[in-house]
Amino acid sequence: MSDTELKCPACAEPIANGDTFCEACGAELQAPEPSAVSPDDTAPIPRTTKIVAVCAYCGGSILDDGFCGTCGRKARSPRDHWSELPVPWVGGVCDKGVVHTANEDAMALSATPGGSLAVLVVCDGVTSAPHSDRAALAASRAACGHLTAVVAPPSESVAAAVSYWSDALLAATSEANAAAVGVAHTLGDPAEPPACTFVAAVVAGDLITVAWCGDSRAYWLPDSGDARQLTLDHSLGTEMIAAGTAAREAELEPGFHTITRWLGADSVDHSPEIASQSIEGPGWLLVCSDGLWNYASALTEMMTLLTDLSASSASDPVPLAEAMVDWANAAGGHDNITVALARCDPSLRLERERTTRG
Amino acid sequence: MAEFKAEVFQNEFLAEGATDVHAVVSVTCTAAGKAGQSGQGEAAEIIIVDTSGSMDMPASKIVAARRAAKVALGEIVDGTWFAVISGHSVAQMVYPTHPGMAKMTDVTRREATHMVDALRPGGATAIGAWIAAATELFSQVQTAQRHAILLTDGKIEGEPSYALPQALEAAQGQFQCDCRGIGADWVVEELRTISNALLGTVDIIAKPEDLEADFEAMIQMSMSRGVADARLRVWAPQGSEVLFVRQVAPLVEDLTPKAVQVGPLIREFPTGAWSDESRDYHVAVRVPVAPLGNERLAARVEMVINDEVVAKGLVKATWSADANLTTRLDPAVAHYTGQAQLADAIQKGLAAKAAGDDRTATVLLGEAAKIAHDSGNEDTTRLLSKVVDVVDAEAGTVRLKSNIEKTDEMALDTRSTKTTRIRREP
Repeated sequence: MSDTELKCPACAEPIANGDTFCEACGAELQAPEPSAVSPDDTAPIPRTTKIVAVCAYCGGSILDDGFCGTCGRKARSPRDHWSELPVPWVGGVCDKGVVHTANEDAMALSATPGGSLAVLVVCDGVTSAPHSDRAALAASRAACGHLTAVVAPPSESVAAAVSYWSDALLAATSEANAAAVGVAHTLGDPAEPPACTFVAAVVAGDLITVAWCGDSRAYWLPDSGDARQLTLDHSLGTEMIAAGTAAREAELEPGFHTITRWLGADSVDHSPEIASQSIEGPGWLLVCSDGLWNYASALTEMMTLLTDLSASSASDPVPLAEAMVDWANAAGGHDNITVALARCDPSLRLERERTTRG
Repeated sequence: MAEFKAEVFQNEFLAEGATDVHAVVSVTCTAAGKAGQSGQGEAAEIIIVDTSGSMDMPASKIVAARRAAKVALGEIVDGTWFAVISGHSVAQMVYPTHPGMAKMTDVTRREATHMVDALRPGGATAIGAWIAAATELFSQVQTAQRHAILLTDGKIEGEPSYALPQALEAAQGQFQCDCRGIGADWVVEELRTISNALLGTVDIIAKPEDLEADFEAMIQMSMSRGVADARLRVWAPQGSEVLFVRQVAPLVEDLTPKAVQVGPLIREFPTGAWSDESRDYHVAVRVPVAPLGNERLAARVEMVINDEVVAKGLVKATWSADANLTTRLDPAVAHYTGQAQLADAIQKGLAAKAAGDDRTATVLLGEAAKIAHDSGNEDTTRLLSKVVDVVDAEAGTVRLKSNIEKTDEMALDTRSTKTTRIRREP
């Protein structure tokens, strides 16, 4: 159906049959039955609330009024909570949290089956700017799409690889920013345009390269050896701490979370900062929004959290991400929570690559 | 085919930690049709006329009763099952002459009218026996819609005290009954108990000459109820507690004790037959507390006919830190909370007065005068002014009148539950 491409009823961007929400703007969609769309059917796809059969919270039945028949909670829309698992070693969960009424976080994950390349992107929409949920989704998907299409470099030195992926991430950040600006255009360029943070991580062979704008974070959390926070928040809080305020004290300041770099039509500076990390042994790459790290802001706390949860409940990326989201919700869930994980293990990677080639 | 509509009026916003959700659900029925003609079976009507000895003192009472019963017979639609009972120490069949019911035709109407003309007073007042007889008669016809009118002029004397409660227990859910007291020698509480149990109304007919018009209106109303039986179904979430379900318009009536549990989270309340009309219900639910920002359903309020949901309203709860949202009182909830307090203050005030506790009576009736004034309930204000001198309505200051007609006091009592509707924003 190339000449009768499905379009999002909200922003008119193309959508795929079966999508539950628009990849460009985040509007909820009800996928039409394939048979219901004839080639000359130009009627717009109705926007409806998705009716979920089972309550995500208590297991009761969601009734046709959109609420659970047992606990009365509102049915969770796919935009409020979803998970991605492009390959078994890369997965993530994006969740509305407890307090916010909308999920303005977004994530986009992809990976090659062989395991030599993975892309993890997380964006956190700015709540004070309306429709930032759309900007976050558009930006994360644009960057992920761009990075997935990048051809892996020929085997070179680590320095050359870092430089290669840094360039790719710079271009991906520009793509992401253009997508966020594009959302503002479809909204008629509002005075307060949608905006979002940005963090993208590429795992290529045994190298992690990250680019970021704002206060969404990436961590390298190895099974043994030193953990590392790969990103440094672009926020007033970081500036306060840099100027000598104690971290615990700074976190209590009202301006702590005010970000100093972001993507969007009103962004002053969307050039990302770049960092890299070589993988020497097995460990987890964690990319997350502040909805998670607010409750574990120190590196040691995050390491402990991941260690505890992977030991007690889960060792696969999605169940582990779910466990971390649940933990943040139990701690208050004051913001949207996104947790994206890649299980990096050089020996397993080589194994996978051999299997794929064979 | 009747159509129902349910509208919810509430402030869904709760402050952090708050648990109590109040909503007024306004249910409107249109295109109700006529009794016995909407596919839910035929209608049945019984007229119970008090023929105890006191109905002859003065004789104008029995004369008015005969005339009113005949007018009622004239209003009963052809094809309706009907019977007339003469109530004294026992319940005696007037028409048909055997214990059963007749189909209304020109012939049976003429015969029944003739028999009503022959009613003669004598004997005691045994309302329990009359209700039991009506229950028995109704059980003989397979109809969904059964309605009775009960007229009396005295208090129960001719039967043991358990007779009425026993009769009401058997009658509940079998038929609806509107009660009328004529004169000043009947007991408001007795008739209110009956009308409450049997989903009817109660009123005083102070002057016998007004009885005819009242009977005519009652039967016309009954015949306009094309929906035989509708129930109010209330779902409340797991872990919640339904604090009360109260009809608040046109009359205040606590439905809470009438709840029938039909599922773990669902209870139903009988509402009887419906004409083209609107009734308001105040529903209060205590829900488990949820974190700020959460939106939950506190109640689903549905109208149900033959197990089919014909209208539905959603009562919500959303926890918010915004005090501007959470402190606002919904005008409908506030208004009807006041109207329920008004009815309560009048009934308790009059009871205190009857018990000789003038101080309590003055305080409560003063409170009533204030609420009636503030809410623009002019009917109640007028009835109150016959029992108390209103010194300052805004402050709720009143003085008990010394010489009052007993019927005025009874009128205030019986009509205390009548509410004014809130004026809705256009």
